[in-house]
Amino acid sequence: MISLSDFNHEHAQHGIAVSVRDLGLTYTTSIEKKPTLKARFKSLGRGKKHTRIVSALSDVNIDVHYGTVLGVIGSNGAGKSTLMRVISGIIPPSAGRVEVYGSVSTLLALGVGFNPSMTGRDNVYLGGLAAGMSRQEIDDNFEAIADFSELGEAIDAPMRTYSSGMFARLAFSVAAVVEPDILIIDEALSTGDAKFKEKSLNRIKELRSADRALILVSHALATIEDICNEVIWLNKGKLMMRGEPTEVINAYREFVNARKSASSDEDV
Amino acid sequence: MREYFASLWSRRAFISEFSRSGLRQQNYGSVFGQLWLILNPLLLSAVYFLLIYVIGGSSDANRFGHLTATLFLFYLIANSLTGGVKAITSGERLILNTSFPRIMLPISATVIALFKFLPTVVVFSVIHVLIGLPFSWQILWAIPILFVALVMALGMSILISCINVYFRDISSILPYLTRSLLYLSPILYEASNISESIKKFEIANPLFYLLDSWSRVVVHAEAPSMNGLIQASLWAFGLLFIGAYIFLSRERDFAVRL
Repeated sequence: MISLSDFNHEHAQHGIAVSVRDLGLTYTTSIEKKPTLKARFKSLGRGKKHTRIVSALSDVNIDVHYGTVLGVIGSNGAGKSTLMRVISGIIPPSAGRVEVYGSVSTLLALGVGFNPSMTGRDNVYLGGLAAGMSRQEIDDNFEAIADFSELGEAIDAPMRTYSSGMFARLAFSVAAVVEPDILIIDEALSTGDAKFKEKSLNRIKELRSADRALILVSHALATIEDICNEVIWLNKGKLMMRGEPTEVINAYREFVNARKSASSDEDV
Repeated sequence: MREYFASLWSRRAFISEFSRSGLRQQNYGSVFGQLWLILNPLLLSAVYFLLIYVIGGSSDANRFGHLTATLFLFYLIANSLTGGVKAITSGERLILNTSFPRIMLPISATVIALFKFLPTVVVFSVIHVLIGLPFSWQILWAIPILFVALVMALGMSILISCINVYFRDISSILPYLTRSLLYLSPILYEASNISESIKKFEIANPLFYLLDSWSRVVVHAEAPSMNGLIQASLWAFGLLFIGAYIFLSRERDFAVRL
């Protein structure tokens, strides 16, 4: 069960922002990437199931309090992004309960809703509306977004002509103006050049406050250690550890190094 | 449910902006750009003018009027189906990264189809005057019939967008489905020209009575048959209800199906 509607909730400082209880997520997926009628007909009468069950998260328990910046670390495929999607209400959980006390904004991917055929200016509106902002809010924040993106006159050029760095800068700038109670950021800090990366990081730091909860997913362990005051480590859909950033990151590094020495080449 | 529709209503600006950008993308890079919205119906009617008046040697204004009027309305439904079929599967990035009422995507497909239909109303109005089709107050029946057509277009878009998540083959079958609907519907012929025995089967065609009513009203300036209007409305609201029911009961599953 998930509740995301309590937007006007007045939260006490250090009150609970997100409560995740016994969360499990399994889903059935077809072996073929795209389910087609042909595949269905082929499997008819053969008694062979063309599906498999994937357990993406199992028995995850977390409380995130207001004022907390929670870092989420883990290898590729650990379930970090899936957990963020469940907390955001994008994917319903198969088991357990997720309760969210406040307005949630997600920054799970940059440039969601953008249309490359339109100008940067049009896409500020499109991306902002996709993120749940009103037209008035975008009007009020437009100058700030344009300034933050440092695009200058290119804001009126079609996004098709942008470099990937320019695209990412505008996308981050649109997302950075939203000031929700709970902000979930997944791998969005590795944007643009070194200067812009630092600027993005500073913006995230500005967003830290006692009446906001931030959940940050990243492979950049130094950034997590710098920004977060609490870290969780996920592995294969299970919560391995939770605690002080340094303590959890060290345990995770040890775990990964041990696996590497056992000839694993998994990403850190 | 009330909360869902409130959330959908609060996103109406996004639906409008998303549809506008989708429409603009379709003609991006072409010399005439958005002018194609008016050029398309003009060229389509020019082709049929050539076929009926020049090659066919006929001077039957009703036939030309019927063909253009029904074809334009048919394209409202067909464009809604074509846009709707991939509304969910091509909206993967939005669906996987943002929480919003998913039904917005097939609604946008219908809004785009409506944006494409509106210029055809202007083109047909000019044709109507030029070829001297009759006028009467009965033409105002076009408003409720257009409303029924929009409900049907929306129902079909919602239903097919959901079906395509589970059976991707539908998007490949769709061109043949719309082509069959074109030939089975009273577009290239008038409903009054087909035999009663064949007409009995047309109850299974959602577009038959809709297009017949549309032609009677905008071409012949007559009132539609109540039976036809009721059948078209039953199909339209039935499709919308079934489509919305299936969509809303399955939409939470979409994120893991894409």
